[in-house]
Amino acid sequence: MYALEIRNLSKNFGEVKAVDKASFQVPEGSVFGLIGRNGAGKTTTIRMMMNIYMPDEGEVILRGAKIDNEFKSRVGYLPEERGLYKKMKVLETLLYFAEIKGKSGRDLEKKARRYLKRFELDDRKYSKIEDLSKGNQQKIQFITAVLHDPDFIILDEPFSGLDPINTNLLREIIMEKKQEGKVIILSTHFMDFAEKMSDHIAMIDHGKVIMNDSLQNIKSKFGQRNITLTHSGDISFLKGSPLIEKITEFGNSTGIRVKEASQTQELLRLLVEKNVEIKKFDANDISLQEVFVELAGKEVDNNGKEAAHA
Amino acid sequence: MLNFRTLAIIKRELREKLLSKAFIIMTVMLPVLMFVFIGFQAWIMDYAGDSNTKIEIITETIDLSALLENEFAETEYAKDTSYTFMYNVMPKAEIENYLRVRKTDIIDESLTGVVFVPLTALSDKKIEYYSKTPKNLTVSEKIEWPINRVLTSEYFKEKNLSKEELGFARKGIDLAGFKVSKEDSFEEQGYGNLVLAYLFIFLLYISLLMMGQMTMQSVQEEKNNRIVEVLLSSVSSTELMIGKIIGAAVTGTIQMAIWLLPVVAVISTAWFALPPEMAFDFTLAQLGYLLFNFFLGLLVFLGLFATVGAIFENAQEAQSGMWPIMMLIIFPFFIGVSMMKNPSNPVAYVASMSPFASIIVMPGRLTLVEVPIWELIVSVIVNIATIFAIFPLAGKIYRVGILRTGKKPTWREVIKWLKYKY
Repeated sequence: MYALEIRNLSKNFGEVKAVDKASFQVPEGSVFGLIGRNGAGKTTTIRMMMNIYMPDEGEVILRGAKIDNEFKSRVGYLPEERGLYKKMKVLETLLYFAEIKGKSGRDLEKKARRYLKRFELDDRKYSKIEDLSKGNQQKIQFITAVLHDPDFIILDEPFSGLDPINTNLLREIIMEKKQEGKVIILSTHFMDFAEKMSDHIAMIDHGKVIMNDSLQNIKSKFGQRNITLTHSGDISFLKGSPLIEKITEFGNSTGIRVKEASQTQELLRLLVEKNVEIKKFDANDISLQEVFVELAGKEVDNNGKEAAHA
Repeated sequence: MLNFRTLAIIKRELREKLLSKAFIIMTVMLPVLMFVFIGFQAWIMDYAGDSNTKIEIITETIDLSALLENEFAETEYAKDTSYTFMYNVMPKAEIENYLRVRKTDIIDESLTGVVFVPLTALSDKKIEYYSKTPKNLTVSEKIEWPINRVLTSEYFKEKNLSKEELGFARKGIDLAGFKVSKEDSFEEQGYGNLVLAYLFIFLLYISLLMMGQMTMQSVQEEKNNRIVEVLLSSVSSTELMIGKIIGAAVTGTIQMAIWLLPVVAVISTAWFALPPEMAFDFTLAQLGYLLFNFFLGLLVFLGLFATVGAIFENAQEAQSGMWPIMMLIIFPFFIGVSMMKNPSNPVAYVASMSPFASIIVMPGRLTLVEVPIWELIVSVIVNIATIFAIFPLAGKIYRVGILRTGKKPTWREVIKWLKYKY
């Protein structure tokens, strides 16, 4: 059974179809990446998953039953647009947001203090939120999402605005929560994070789910004929080579697609012959970014064609 | 509806509001401000600005002139020299010429006015007053009575009346008001209840505006800071709205109770002895009713204010949404004030049991006239019915508005929201 099942979810705002018959399944104990461009419909989908919006169509099934308001107590949510009471104090804020989830008491307060310590904010317990830096406010917001020990943690762009050290800390906590068997739903337009952390991916574009699978399946499905290459030296000779269908530069690595699967070995030989220093040669590997660009790009193309047609 | 989530929200609202500096300052300052306000109003009404008034009194005989001089010499304002009187005697035929001579003095106000008391006044009491501002009530009120007393005495002098009889004729009427109620006794009523009614109406009005403003701001804070996104991942919009409104209504009721403590003290203790003309007739039960009715009314109005707060993004835009609610507060306030003149006017009677108006008008009526119990109950039922009528609609608009950002919505769009499945 899936932890959470999204069935045929639709939501219109006037003329705009924000979400269009979206369906995907979130398995138990996984990190689930919900990826898509800005304005693709991720946030609206999340809001429907949490019963903030009523869907026009479709339903959200939690472990076999339709979700209701009680589900809210079991979710921790870090919205993309952060918001805290400016005049409230740090510890007070944490306790309040736990209280509306039905959690309170001495143990909870201890836990809040532990989190503050972990984020190096224990000296700011009694500061007002407005006196904190943006980054620190974000850390507080993250703590409010996990403090009440929810079964489901929904994080919308959790890393935006954080420095590398805090990004790591956040990632560490997310992985801990995964170990504890919690379900984590990660919504982001940074493919890199999604790829590194998620087990399952649903890709949303223009309100539609254009892909929904485990990361492994996605990679093997789209990875055929693809090579991820890390190298130093000139590889410009590959352009125009009869072996190559497409080359995409990613800065540190290069995505290469050959025309036929059997040509992978040929490509490697060619690189060695041309004295390219190969640091990493990953056959049948593709980055999520490439998959996304391929899928979403195609979508754009199709639309363009349709438009031209009409 | 009143689950742990709503209670947590109510608790936060109370903590935030009751302990806020603004609340404490307003609770203390408002009574002070009110006394200053009422005091100033009374002072400006009372302040005649008529010191340095110079009046010339012209008669046709020296006898009458002397009598008037004696009478005016007895008055307060002549004694403290704020009024100076000059006396002159001349026949009626010369008056016009004399006035021409004095014209410039009257125009440049070195002479306030000329009073001419002809001999005929002894039989018909008709006198003439010449001045730049002949309708100045402060002056004419002050000169009328002494002249009247002199004319009355002179009229009856030939009639051989005793001193007591003359005294009686010179006296004005003393009208004492007695309140007729179900009680056996008829109690003489002073100004106490009038003052009390004014106090209630004023406090209720101010408090409604203040709490409304506060609630609206707090809703807008949540909307603008996007706190609402996190809140709605924990509570439903209905729970949030109800929690906020109950929290604010309790705050407002507590504030009102604090303001009314002096009234409670006067009713229930003998510590404060009010002068008899200021004594009032009001019971603790009636005070309790006032607070309860106010609480219900707050729920109604704060629901409206919260909805307006949710529709608009900032206080400026919200102004355009505020005025319909302000009308609903200001009109009852005027009706309430109109009761000071005639407590049993039919508009007040209807308003005291109408939605929106009863919150202000009923306590005023209750203070001034005997209100049957059933009318009090009707008022409560009307308020509760209003809550049930308004909240489903207000809740829907709130739910849509609170998550909405972008350009200012039109009323037409807001009505459309009612049909949204959100």
